[in-house]
Amino acid sequence: MSEAGLTTLISRIDFAWITTMHILYPPLTIGLSIILFLSEWRWNRTDDEKWYRLCRFFERLFIINFGAAVATGVTMEMAFGILFGRFSQAAGPLVGQLLGYETISAFMYEAGFLGLMVFGWGKINKRMHLFATFNVALASTISAWWILDANSWMQTPTGVVLKNGVFEVENWLAALLNPDSFVAFWHIEVASVELALCFVAAVSAWFLLKQRHVELFLKPLKIAVFSLLLIAPLQIFIGDSSGQLTAKHQPAALAAMEGHYRTRLPNGEPNTSWNVVAWPDADGHGNAWSIKIPHALSLLENHTWNSAVPGLDTIPAADRPPVVIPFYAFRAMSAVGTAVFLLALWGAWLAFRGRLSVAKVCANRWFLRAALLGVALPYLGIWTGWWTREVGRQPWVVYGLMRTADGVSHMSLTLAVSWLVGFMAFELMASGATFYFMTKVVRLGPDLDSPVVTDGPAHEARRLPRFAAMPDRPTPGGMAAFTQNHE
Amino acid sequence: MEPLSSIQQAMAFAWWVALGVCVLLYIALDGADLGAGIFSLFVDDEHERGAIMASMAGTWDMNETWLVVAGGILFATFPAVYGSTFSYLFIPLALALWAIMTRAVAMELRHLAHRTRRFTDLAFGLSSLATTFFGGVAIGAVLHGYVLTPEPGHTPTYAGGALSFISPFSIWTGVASVVAVTLAGVLYVRARFEKGEPIREQAARWTQAAFYVALVAVVVTVAWSAVEFPWAASKWFSSSAWVWALFLIGAVYAIVQMRRATTQDRDVAALLWYHAGAVVMGVAMMATLYPWLVPNDWTIFSGASPQLSLTSFTLAMGSFLPVMFTYNAYQIWVFRGRLSKFHGYHH
Ligand code: HDD
Ligand code: HEM
Ligand code: HEM
Repeated sequence: MSEAGLTTLISRIDFAWITTMHILYPPLTIGLSIILFLSEWRWNRTDDEKWYRLCRFFERLFIINFGAAVATGVTMEMAFGILFGRFSQAAGPLVGQLLGYETISAFMYEAGFLGLMVFGWGKINKRMHLFATFNVALASTISAWWILDANSWMQTPTGVVLKNGVFEVENWLAALLNPDSFVAFWHIEVASVELALCFVAAVSAWFLLKQRHVELFLKPLKIAVFSLLLIAPLQIFIGDSSGQLTAKHQPAALAAMEGHYRTRLPNGEPNTSWNVVAWPDADGHGNAWSIKIPHALSLLENHTWNSAVPGLDTIPAADRPPVVIPFYAFRAMSAVGTAVFLLALWGAWLAFRGRLSVAKVCANRWFLRAALLGVALPYLGIWTGWWTREVGRQPWVVYGLMRTADGVSHMSLTLAVSWLVGFMAFELMASGATFYFMTKVVRLGPDLDSPVVTDGPAHEARRLPRFAAMPDRPTPGGMAAFTQNHE
Repeated sequence: MEPLSSIQQAMAFAWWVALGVCVLLYIALDGADLGAGIFSLFVDDEHERGAIMASMAGTWDMNETWLVVAGGILFATFPAVYGSTFSYLFIPLALALWAIMTRAVAMELRHLAHRTRRFTDLAFGLSSLATTFFGGVAIGAVLHGYVLTPEPGHTPTYAGGALSFISPFSIWTGVASVVAVTLAGVLYVRARFEKGEPIREQAARWTQAAFYVALVAVVVTVAWSAVEFPWAASKWFSSSAWVWALFLIGAVYAIVQMRRATTQDRDVAALLWYHAGAVVMGVAMMATLYPWLVPNDWTIFSGASPQLSLTSFTLAMGSFLPVMFTYNAYQIWVFRGRLSKFHGYHH
């Protein structure tokens, strides 16, 4: 490989690394904020203290996660220009605009209401607080829409012309509502909810395994299990729609995901076998070995028994994406989708048999352990999903229009490597710290002693300006400082 | 690129103003936080360092958002400038980002760390220092400009080496930023802690020295720019020199008022006069640069997106910036009270 080629590869890995580390956090923000809103709403409706304790407890985990999302996210915004300067110059008119909208809707709108949500307990009335939580949830979902819109435009770039090296938008509507945008957005939105539900289930399962606060944590576990019973198949359905779209708009990516090299068999019949596992041969023209199921590919992609699916042999060699990562990442993601559904079925079956009652739940140790470890599944699904998508788009940064090699900044190999080393070190440390402190908060457990907040004095309820006066026991640190600290 | 229509030119201009406002707000607001971080390196008492972090707990995140917004405006409105300048600034920006992230994590996690507080505090102080220094270097390097390489069929871009950001001037602006920001931090600590608190008194003792060093730094920077940059000198010493004289008078007035306020222990006024001085100098710098965004490389108009649209412009200018502005002001107002060091830890 030439030095320029190697630099391009490393800068792709640079970018892949920081997005991969960033995407660890946003989905939990998105999903958990929705769950927090619903729980707080239940508390408002029923006045049941349990909801309140749960909200406050999960909110503390939420804030730690949020801090990490901000720290890694700021890097992302700058990294477009630093690592992919020429892509930014060309696509800025559209992608920059969309990220600008994200700045508006997520960072301003969300930062504003997050302040109210975190500092506002007991300072503003309950209704107002609920409204703040609602807006945090809405803002993070809107943010996901814009960022996915930018990314889906890179996958299916409609509505633009390339003039003098700049993508000029001819039709904003066509660019914003590009073919991939809706499915891509719903896929990640539902993935986020799925992840947050698994997260809630895992934390609850941990308490049940330890037989702590059994009554309190049984409720969220059951709710998560039953919600997953709906959400997990929904995600599989949306994932299938996503695959249909890829087949239509990015046949090369689909062929790579399926390790599908030959469109037709030597005898001219369509090659319809679906590879369960495979490994490409050395020269990249076929599989060295594979285990396959006849007709399955045709069924999966075309929903017919025996029709041709374009293979990599229909794509000019220079335009073919790598195969191994999309192929295995895609399988891992699908396995995750299925596994989460099975986990939900297991829980539902136990509930149906009456074994998820306060008296009996702690006896289901295997199920609780599975629910605890199950939290890794959606994280893995989200990672492998993104890897499928982004690697499958190669060698294009804007599919069919701009090659990745033309999008990278001019930089030296040394520089690209130092970036990787520096940010690897930092982001591993940040994710380690996040994990460490989250587990610490979980071990401390919910605060059951401090009084439940009330609406506060009537005059204060209406006069917002005092909502964020310094809390009674401030502690140093960032926003997280304002969650109680009791040791 | 095709020339912009006159409406688009007006929008590019207004966006440039908005960009300047965001950068200045960032420097003013986060500058004080960063300076307090640098100051904390010299604070021996663990609880006092904690108190400094606690004092900005409710606001630092929002203050930093101005940087994110400035980056967003640059990317959306001046993509050609964003793409080339950021590649040019690879090293200083990567290091500043590293520091910004470390700082955020140190602040978020300090109250949860018990045995490792010495470490989080050191990380907080050093990352404040590094953010400031590399931010200053980046500004100096931009003023210096860079070589654009034309590419057939593409927008001209930066293809030079990674180290060309280094010049005596850019290193100097890094140092000068540290000095100026430290003064802001000292004034901030004075304004945020109860009179009589040891930490406030330590800051008060620092004020005099910090003030004079910062003054020298400013004078040297201005003089150096006049010598080094023809685009600056030709404006300053032209027939409209009186405009620049006005800026100078404004800056001197603010500095004198700041000094008077510190000697009279009017701490909040001192901090505000500091900001006023910084704003006057920032505006003067933008006016000197006009119409360049990056001297000799990009003007506001050559770097603007051919896609400037009135809709998004109105949306942002009409609703987003004002709302954000109000919210930030409100937040600072809410957290304006003075603290004592006992806020530094829970009891
Ligand atoms: C909890 C996470 C999760 C789960 C369980 C699934 N996915 Fe997924 N998948 C993602 C998380 C994800 C993702 C992170 O959300 C991606 C990457 C970008 C995107 O929009 O969705 C993605 C991308 C993605 C793509 C690539 C789209 C493209 O290249 O444009 C396909 C074809 C699928 N998914 C299909 C599936 C199928 C068939 C699943 C079920 C069996 C499935 N996904 C479960
Ligand atoms: C709006 C969202 C995103 C945008 C606009 C975006 C954009 C980009 C760009 C510009 C590149 C470099 C060029 C290339 O190699 O194609 C890239 C590569 C990559 N991104 Fe993304 N990305 C987004 C989200 C993500 C996320 C969340 C992940 C998470 C895991 C991710 C994973 C990757 C990977 C793995 C690569 C490397 C591809 C390769 O080297 O073959 N991307 N993306
Ligand atoms: C690859 C491109 C991406 C960029 C440039 C980017 C940029 C950012 C930035 C700058 C922040 C911090 C904002 C702050 O200061 O408050 C952030 C946080 C966040 N991002 Fe991303 N992000 C990217 C990918 C994604 C994806 C794929 C999603 C979701 C699906 C997402 C959703 C969020 C959310 C929910 C947060 C949490 C905190 C917040 O909203 O401020 N981002 N992102």
